[in-house]
Amino acid sequence: MTMLQQTSSRDGASMIQFVGVNKSYGSFQALTDINAEVRKGEVVVVCGPSGSGKSTLIRTVNRLEEIQSGSLLFEGQDVHAKMGSSALNHLRSRIGFVFQSFNLFPHLSVLDNVILSPVKVNGVKRGEARDMALRLLDRVGLSNKAQDYPAQLSGGQQQRVAIARALAMKPPAMLFDEPTSALDPEMVGEVLAVMRSLASDGMTMMCVTHEMNFARDVADRVWFMDAGRVLESAAPDEFFRAPKHPRAQRFLSDLRAR
Amino acid sequence: MKGFDLMAILLSPEFSGMIAHGMEMTLIIFAASWLLAMSLGISLLAIRMLPGRIADALVAAYVSYHRNVPTLVQLMLWYFGISSLLPDTLQLWLADRNGEAVFAVISLGLCQAAYFSEDLRSGLRAVPKGQWEAARALGHSFTGAMSYILLPQAVRNAMPALVNHTVSLFKNSSLAMAIGVAELTHAVKEVESQSFRAFETYFIATVLYLVCSLLLMWIGYHLERRSRMAGAL
Amino acid sequence: MALLQNMIGIVEDNWLLLLIGQYPNGPVGGIAATMILSVLGIGLAFPLSVLMALARISPWAALRWPVTAIVYLVRGVPLLLIILWVYFLLPLLIGAIVPGFVTMVVTLVIYEGAFLSEVVRAGITALPKGQMDAARALGHSHLGAMRYVILPQALFNMIPSIISQFVSTIKETTLGYIINVPELTFAAGQVNNRLLTKPFEVYFILAIAYFVVCWTLTSLANLLERRIAARRARIADSGAEAGGIAAASAGVSRA
Repeated sequence: MTMLQQTSSRDGASMIQFVGVNKSYGSFQALTDINAEVRKGEVVVVCGPSGSGKSTLIRTVNRLEEIQSGSLLFEGQDVHAKMGSSALNHLRSRIGFVFQSFNLFPHLSVLDNVILSPVKVNGVKRGEARDMALRLLDRVGLSNKAQDYPAQLSGGQQQRVAIARALAMKPPAMLFDEPTSALDPEMVGEVLAVMRSLASDGMTMMCVTHEMNFARDVADRVWFMDAGRVLESAAPDEFFRAPKHPRAQRFLSDLRAR
Repeated sequence: MKGFDLMAILLSPEFSGMIAHGMEMTLIIFAASWLLAMSLGISLLAIRMLPGRIADALVAAYVSYHRNVPTLVQLMLWYFGISSLLPDTLQLWLADRNGEAVFAVISLGLCQAAYFSEDLRSGLRAVPKGQWEAARALGHSFTGAMSYILLPQAVRNAMPALVNHTVSLFKNSSLAMAIGVAELTHAVKEVESQSFRAFETYFIATVLYLVCSLLLMWIGYHLERRSRMAGAL
Repeated sequence: MALLQNMIGIVEDNWLLLLIGQYPNGPVGGIAATMILSVLGIGLAFPLSVLMALARISPWAALRWPVTAIVYLVRGVPLLLIILWVYFLLPLLIGAIVPGFVTMVVTLVIYEGAFLSEVVRAGITALPKGQMDAARALGHSHLGAMRYVILPQALFNMIPSIISQFVSTIKETTLGYIINVPELTFAAGQVNNRLLTKPFEVYFILAIAYFVVCWTLTSLANLLERRIAARRARIADSGAEAGGIAAASAGVSRA
């Protein structure tokens, strides 16, 4: 049973589009001339060595980071255009974001964490939001934890709640910023399982991750980044078997050597 | 020295009456100045968040003044100094209506507001940046993020400091005696000078203050525990 | 502005009284008295507070409970009431007349002793537990570990808090006014009684005087705190906490 209003087509319209995007912190150039696209229903994995700008890239999509030049379109709308705060808030509510450090609200129960934003931001009625929240928690396997508080949950459980919290806003796309990097190894699997099921339901996803098996199994495209540029963009089979760019080759061989 | 005889004070209607009135005045001054201090403290924090550097600098100056000038001096500046600047009619009006108590409440409230606003500010700073980002990523507005996510956590963080400063405010009410307010310490000095029983009188005052302080600390401790996020540090 | 001219005039006329009171025709007063009271107060309170802090974290309940009770007592009662108690009891205990100045010092020592002991206690417990473990593992006794390893580090880290308490002590000296100790606030009161027509100017000068002194000291404390925090961060990063123990142990030949 799918909660998501998605077609299962993997060849849909453009959802996220980077056109000549540049970003710098003072004199440091974090992103250089990014041109790339995530289509509706696609799952894109962004990988690369640390410091390559992967997190910065994904954070520009919902404008947690600003860009200096170029344009970034979400569903055809320019995210970085000058706009009023309520327009930006509305835009953000349509982009699901899952953080590396979960960032659950510690003063609210798990259920309230999921209910809060649909009610206060989208104006959903509380009863309706509650039903949806319980269904989502069930979907991520945590309906028995609804009344607990985040501090009582393990890292893997907290991240699954964070995913449910983002899904509660019914976003057409979900962004994942290293969702399993802060987890103990034995909990990585449970979070990836949720992400896999989202992908198979046709959710448009952009994931920054080091989990190469996930990329191989689930991604439609892999973007390889280094030093602020997207150096290669290929289907996973192609990328993992025969990467074209020398730095990508080095990255993969370093990974395999571990 | 006469033998220790509490009853000489407690049973005397005149003396116990003076002490009771003093206690009443202390509590009134405390309650009034606490309300002033808390509401002003929250407002100061809100002002600080306005864009631009002027608002922040003004509040910082306010806080700095009230934390570096002794409370007694602030009281005296208000009661002797500022009152003399008011128009004569207002001065007479105030003198008829317990003006000293009014100035005491204003002075103590304004002073403690500085401390409360700093406590809340520290509490807010202690909320991890990720909370703010998660709130904005979900689409909450600035006010929404503050009301539902950041301020509730800030207050919980600031609880111990707020409780401490509340107890300080309570004890500072005794300073009002210096400008003639008939609160508990003033009453106690009066009773002592009339009864010559310093030990018993001071003892009663000590017990009263101690009980109230401990009560405030106990209430604060319970509020802290109830509001603490279950299982959190 | 007329206000500023008045204030400058008052300071010009009365600066000596405000600075040192009526000395040499009377006891030392004014700012000098304030500073002497504060330094004596916190100086004498300090060793007392260290002892009290050690008592509060000691493993012997017979030592912990009474001291904890005293600290709660002193913290729960207004300073003014403690002054009244000391003013009344001290002459009885000593059997001689006690000048207001001495009463004030004794009160400050008691009051600051209790508050400072909380600061010291916090400083000690803020050190990583590993320090005590390592010291005991090397063979130091509890008190030896305290003396050579814990206290030196804790007291250094606490310097900003101690300066803060010193600022509080300066503010507390104003209560000497109530028992006619001729410190700065009392001196200002005398000036006001003489002039009668410019109370705002007089008390505003008083406020500014305290502000300047306290603000300077507070800024110093903040500066030191930043430096010390940076130093602690560097120490923690380089894993050289043990360096503190090694250095301390080098100077000890007995447990």
